[in-house]
Amino acid sequence: MAMSAGTKALEKMWEELVELCNSQFDSPQFKRLLGLKFTKQRAQHYSIQMAYYVQNRRDCWGYVQGSVPLDVKQLIWRHEEDELIGRKDQGKADHITLAVKEGEVLGLSAEAFDKTVRLEGGEVCFSAWIRLSQRSWLEAIAASAILEMRNSGELVRAGSLSRRIGAIFERDLGIPMKKQINNAEHVVMDVEHAHMLMQVARKYATMETAQRGILRGAKESLLIDRVYRGHLADMLESLA
Amino acid sequence: MNLVQDLCGTLDKMVNDQFDSVEFKTFFGVPLTMERARFYVVQNALYTSNRRDCWGYVQGGAPLEVKRVIWEHESDELINDPRAGMDHFSLTVKQGEVIGLKPEDFEYAEVPAMVQACFHAWHHVAMHGHWLTAYTASHMLERRNNGKIVKGGGMSFRVGKKFENELGISLKKMISLDVHVVADTEHSENISEMFERYVKSAEDCERVLEGARDSMTIDRAYRGALGYYMAQIH
Repeated sequence: MAMSAGTKALEKMWEELVELCNSQFDSPQFKRLLGLKFTKQRAQHYSIQMAYYVQNRRDCWGYVQGSVPLDVKQLIWRHEEDELIGRKDQGKADHITLAVKEGEVLGLSAEAFDKTVRLEGGEVCFSAWIRLSQRSWLEAIAASAILEMRNSGELVRAGSLSRRIGAIFERDLGIPMKKQINNAEHVVMDVEHAHMLMQVARKYATMETAQRGILRGAKESLLIDRVYRGHLADMLESLA
Repeated sequence: MNLVQDLCGTLDKMVNDQFDSVEFKTFFGVPLTMERARFYVVQNALYTSNRRDCWGYVQGGAPLEVKRVIWEHESDELINDPRAGMDHFSLTVKQGEVIGLKPEDFEYAEVPAMVQACFHAWHHVAMHGHWLTAYTASHMLERRNNGKIVKGGGMSFRVGKKFENELGISLKKMISLDVHVVADTEHSENISEMFERYVKSAEDCERVLEGARDSMTIDRAYRGALGYYMAQIH
């Protein structure tokens, strides 16, 4: 059956979003971050800053949940179950607990997560993401969802960010992926979460203006993402 | 008395005072007809929707532990309240059947101007205030519905009684109002516990009171607006 013009436009938008995610890995900031050798100290600091990143995601998804239509609120509420609460029936902890537990493998205590300050550049990026999450709802949801698309091994050709960082931890520190419980969880969960945006777009973004809004939100978020990864690379380079 | 006990005493007085305000008295003074009841029930669904917006924003700004409490709170509201076997928006739509409303009546409902202004005001507090201010602003509307705190019954209970007395529809048949009589008592108690944990200084108290004052002001304007619009329906 032939695709309608609306469906074609949506598919085209999706392809563009996927390409944008793939392009992140060609940016100087991503190349610099992923080109570094991770010492134990660097891995520890990276891990702590990523816990703050996960917390910022919870802030942003909360704001997005506030502005979206009721049926999309329900989708986000379920999405946040994995992140905030975990799935007790499957024995899975929430993602902040996972980040702290993963830290143990790197020799980090729970207090290290409480006591280490946020990276200044990271703080600025977090504020920018929050600002984006308070824009019109389609822009806002795209801004948050694109970060999970960028972390989906199904969409990013040479492996998602979590997968690539996991491989570096394995290569440089000898920690197998299965022991990196937070990275391993995100490798799986973000494949599932990455499809939410298209699910929403099929219902609410049939008009070109709506699709433009989604692309605008996604592009701005990926821009912040590049800046953030650049700051992380700076921090790691400053550490032995 | 400690800081939080004093604070909660002030909040309790504020929610009780709402019912003595000219706006609340105007609202409750408009006799219900079936048409006015339909208008109210549809508007109440939109109010519920606005609550979901605001709690989402509050969740966004709150510390992680508080986010989790709000997420649990939103389970009843958005997904499924075991007391009702459905989410609260569906419950309101279902309640509408008793007075001849169809799902389309909710879907295509218009938000009157003064009501819209109140919704925007609640959004503003939820999104832009300090998290304790935003949190309290949303919490106060459930506290104002808590029959253990409000002498003479919370808002849902009183509106339910109005339906019973003026239209002969028992509170048990107004399933959304009936569930909220209990649900908001539980919700306001769970949410109130967070004050014990996070209110430690006079500055924290002021943030809480700011949210309470703002939300109660908007609430009075909202009820006054509903009373005004209901009085226009003959």
